[in-house]
Amino acid sequence: MTRSRASLISQRIAAAVAIAVALILTLFPVYWIAGNSFKFDIDIFSVPPQWFPANPTLKHYNAAFIERPFLQYGLNSLIIAMATTIVSLVLGTMAGYALARFKYPGQWRYQISFWILSTRMMPPIVTIIPLYLAFNYLDMLNTKWAVVIAYTAFNLPFATWMMKSYFQDLPVELEEAAMVDGDTRWGAFLRVALPLARPGLAATAIFCLIISWNEFLLALILTLTERSQTLPIGIAGRVTQYNTYWGEISAAGFTACIPIMIFAFVVQKHLVRGLSFGAVKG
Amino acid sequence: MTAELPIARTAQAVSGPALERWSERHLRVLMLMPAMLVLLALTIFPSIYMFAAATTRISPNPDVPWEFAGADNFLRLLTDDQFHIALWNTLVFTFFAVSIEFLLGLGLALLLDRYIRRLNFLKTILMLPMMMPPIAVAITWKLIYEPQFGVLNEIMFQLGLPLQAWAGDVDLAMFSIIVADVWQWTPFVFLLMLAGLSSLPEEPYEAAAIDGASAWRQFWDLTLPFLKPVIAIALLLRMMDALRLFDLVFILTGGGPADRTKTLSLYIYQVAYRFADPSYAAAISLFVLFATVAFSTWFIKRMRLAT
Repeated sequence: MTRSRASLISQRIAAAVAIAVALILTLFPVYWIAGNSFKFDIDIFSVPPQWFPANPTLKHYNAAFIERPFLQYGLNSLIIAMATTIVSLVLGTMAGYALARFKYPGQWRYQISFWILSTRMMPPIVTIIPLYLAFNYLDMLNTKWAVVIAYTAFNLPFATWMMKSYFQDLPVELEEAAMVDGDTRWGAFLRVALPLARPGLAATAIFCLIISWNEFLLALILTLTERSQTLPIGIAGRVTQYNTYWGEISAAGFTACIPIMIFAFVVQKHLVRGLSFGAVKG
Repeated sequence: MTAELPIARTAQAVSGPALERWSERHLRVLMLMPAMLVLLALTIFPSIYMFAAATTRISPNPDVPWEFAGADNFLRLLTDDQFHIALWNTLVFTFFAVSIEFLLGLGLALLLDRYIRRLNFLKTILMLPMMMPPIAVAITWKLIYEPQFGVLNEIMFQLGLPLQAWAGDVDLAMFSIIVADVWQWTPFVFLLMLAGLSSLPEEPYEAAAIDGASAWRQFWDLTLPFLKPVIAIALLLRMMDALRLFDLVFILTGGGPADRTKTLSLYIYQVAYRFADPSYAAAISLFVLFATVAFSTWFIKRMRLAT
């Protein structure tokens, strides 16, 4: 008895220590970049490092968002992320519903589902060269639309699988009842299934927003100027061979994290499902 | 699993106008088609194009027509040291990063499973790194690794250990990249494992406790087999991501020093845009594509994930 109590206490201590260490390791880097964004250059470069910004300033935010076009980058990121999300969500919801509900001959439903997932396995670098040349040919390089189209290729499989998993969780009887009452199949989808899947839709949308907001490689190749460049590209542009503008990139990098933090709190209940393409239900 | 609905047995579908009746009858195709067409255009077209490009010599001068090159570009893969280095680096990175993330994530989940369910807000805080833009993660670690005024060297100094160049050091660069990746993605494995643990049935454990099975035996014979599907998904998604690593190395090391952190994605980028050799880049890309898809498919079938 005493022995098991002792082991229970030691287990609790171990858990508390693990939580404390994990929290420090998780939060310190985030705190560090945030703190540095509010320091004067001299304090960023100080040795030993200044652990807390004793002399806070908004200088770097001013430099990034007023003097340099980071506001434009942010706006581009936002427009591209929203457009991608809308396209992926509309197409993905319909396809996800079809794969969750309809009957297809033979093994087709399984084959199509798997094929859609497998397109997501393609490393982005593989598709980017032909897309670059195609957009070049269509005179669409350095436009937001080119980025939106490329991002859709990566968000659509995700949206399809997520929505498929949410629709599979809905009881089919409600749609049947609506159809018995004279609604069409499409009407049952639109007026019964879709409203019931609203939490799933919201979660899928937020995940698409996050994926597009964070993406770097495709935007790096498809965009050239501030007309279409996104926030990550703007940040990378201030890390040059000769100089790294620490204050500016800290300010822009921390700013880029803020909407993501808010989103993470909003979708926390759906996080597991979203991260596993609907395979694991948290 | 899913009930199938009769399609044409509704009142309006029978009595509605012809177009509506037609679209109602073909709804299962019409709802699926747009997504499939978009995906076909965005993945199959590039794949075919890549194959065409890889078997030709493309001149930088757009007026010179493409010249058929057969398997030349693929044969180059066999003798290109840079490619072998990039392949090796990618495999080393994937192996170590995913293993460490898996062990840490699973260990933490087992340790905290009982406590963290009541501390939901804590879970959300621990999730932050993987939601952050990879570029923000990269500059954060660049700042921490900075040899002159970085915080890591300050800690080394306080501990009386030798200062290091970290991402700039030939021997530590890959290690530095792995640490940054582990920082960002361990929460992902942790979260998935917690979800798996919370869905474990209780009866087998009660039976095992009555039989006097040790905690270790319970873990080995019950927990691990029950977790297997979740573990397989976590590993698959992490490996797919790790094999395409680009952002972190692009910012932290640029592939250096001495090519120690050059990954396949970075090498393709360099070949295509710095060396302006799209044909060869296409050949490497096809290799990567084939290897990734073959591996993922094998893994999914092996783990019986697709159901």
